[in-house]
Amino acid sequence: ASEEKMHQEIFNFKGYMIEKANTVNKALDDAVTLKNPPMIHEAMRYSLLAGGKRVRPMLCIAACELVGGDISNAMPAACAVEMIHTMSLIHDDLPCMDNDDLRRGKPTNHKVFGEDVAVLAGDSLLAFAFEYVATSTTGVAPARILAAVGELAKSIGTEGLVAGQVVDLSSTGKTNVGLDQLEFIHIHKTAALLEASVVLGAILGGGSEEEIEKLRRFARCIGLLFQVVDDILDVTKSSEELGKTAGKDLVTDKVTYPKLLGLDKAREFAEKLNSDAKAQLSEFDPNKAAPLIALADYIAYREN
Amino acid sequence: GLTMTTQFDLKSYWATLIKEINQKLDEAIPVKYPQQIYEAMRYSVLAKGAKRSPPVMCVAACELFGGNRLAAFPTACALEMVHAASLIHDDLPCMDDDPSRRGQPSNHTVYGVDMAILAGDALFPLGFRHIVSHTPTELVPETQLLRVIAEIARAVGSTGMAAGQFLDLEGGPNAVDFVQEKKFGEMAECSAVCGGLLAGASDDEIDGLRRYGRAVGVLYQVVDDILKAKKGTGDENESKGKKGKSYVAVYGVEKAIEVAEDLRAKAKKELDGFKKYGDNVFPLYSFVDYAADRGFSIGEQV
Repeated sequence: ASEEKMHQEIFNFKGYMIEKANTVNKALDDAVTLKNPPMIHEAMRYSLLAGGKRVRPMLCIAACELVGGDISNAMPAACAVEMIHTMSLIHDDLPCMDNDDLRRGKPTNHKVFGEDVAVLAGDSLLAFAFEYVATSTTGVAPARILAAVGELAKSIGTEGLVAGQVVDLSSTGKTNVGLDQLEFIHIHKTAALLEASVVLGAILGGGSEEEIEKLRRFARCIGLLFQVVDDILDVTKSSEELGKTAGKDLVTDKVTYPKLLGLDKAREFAEKLNSDAKAQLSEFDPNKAAPLIALADYIAYREN
Repeated sequence: GLTMTTQFDLKSYWATLIKEINQKLDEAIPVKYPQQIYEAMRYSVLAKGAKRSPPVMCVAACELFGGNRLAAFPTACALEMVHAASLIHDDLPCMDDDPSRRGQPSNHTVYGVDMAILAGDALFPLGFRHIVSHTPTELVPETQLLRVIAEIARAVGSTGMAAGQFLDLEGGPNAVDFVQEKKFGEMAECSAVCGGLLAGASDDEIDGLRRYGRAVGVLYQVVDDILKAKKGTGDENESKGKKGKSYVAVYGVEKAIEVAEDLRAKAKKELDGFKKYGDNVFPLYSFVDYAADRGFSIGEQV
């Protein structure tokens, strides 16, 4: 019997990922329906349901469950962070920004629907994320839902995604970009929303202040880790393997960790961030923390 | 209605609120690193001559039910932020392609298209964040604030103002009524409804505010179109993509005047349901006459 118990406790990450991704995909499909006018909603769904890895929703759900919440408490927020992520990709891909034709192996939103609709679809996903959290979250005290709304809002604007994109745009093509500026870009452009994903889950799952802050520090580490690994993959993998235009960072002369630190040091930095992240989870029940630990490893060792 | 509204000095009420709202908006967007995005946001939100109609209507609706205006200010500011975000995006070259707004260069004309998109993207969440962090919770229960957030998100979203903008660009000439309602009615509707929600109005009262706000918002725009047509600054000065937009262009001046009178009557009829609140309803009454008659000028007066 003890052998059977041990077997149960070995965490099946692949099964977890598949199950959670299916649940999230279903929830996203149900959340954004084909209302009038159909074309905006088609554009929203085109990018939202394009088969992303759903890392952000999974972090949100895993953090919620870690602090003792039910998946249903976090599901609207899990969908919302994916809507925000999608929205930022749609706008970042626009010709006036990064000018990308390909995303997740498919033509970008503005290539299919036009720039005007792409701008509006992004704006609509942004707005709907807030509407959805505010109206569809169940089993959570209103004060906690409100706190989640505030956290989500903070991660998008001038202290989050937008700030990162602004500095990213202004440093493209420049040769004097330092590590500080590079970290600013990634902490804001990537880590802020990953942090919000985890923190929203912790808030909505009923976590204590202390638990929420521990998970926030965990999220900050894996947020930066995510970008360091992205940069490494960009120089070591082909476009086909990545499903997006590889080597673009080099072509547009963007500053990256491998360029600044060298590939080996960049890999070392990634290792350190992963272990720093896990250290934040040491006081939680290891069985309950298994999904977040596995997600950190997944972010560190992913191939695309 | 007429004798009631003449007793109320909307201009002073409005001017006092504009001053307070401008100050709060100024404080809400301090310039930090990276500077250019904060400057782009401030350029549109703090533009000179802004009438602040959405925030003033929000405060007036809140005070109708005896609500404290301190409860309404953060939402009033948020309405102005999301409104500015919508206008910045509407002016973009890929949308209405407007190089100017209110006599000033558009946001993208000054800061570039990329920064204009990002300024809008930052102003939407800043509005929500401002409500959460600044509304005194002893004045407004959290459930009501969640309804306010949902209301604003719905108003600017894919079935609200974004839908209006989409049909303005892509819809046929028959879309004019829908476009007017969504592009111009939605913001006023949302403003009135938020004010009511913050003061704890009943669901029936919220429905009344909804119909009132929508009528006033469309009325304001129809009258704008009529005044432009009469001045002869109509179609030839409009930039591309604006052709189907106005009632006057589609239906002619006479029909537009008829529509305006209907909307004025409709808005006032809704307010009859609020008579039990006495003098508190005056600001909302005079708003209707202002939208219809433009009896005085509002905004930056030197």
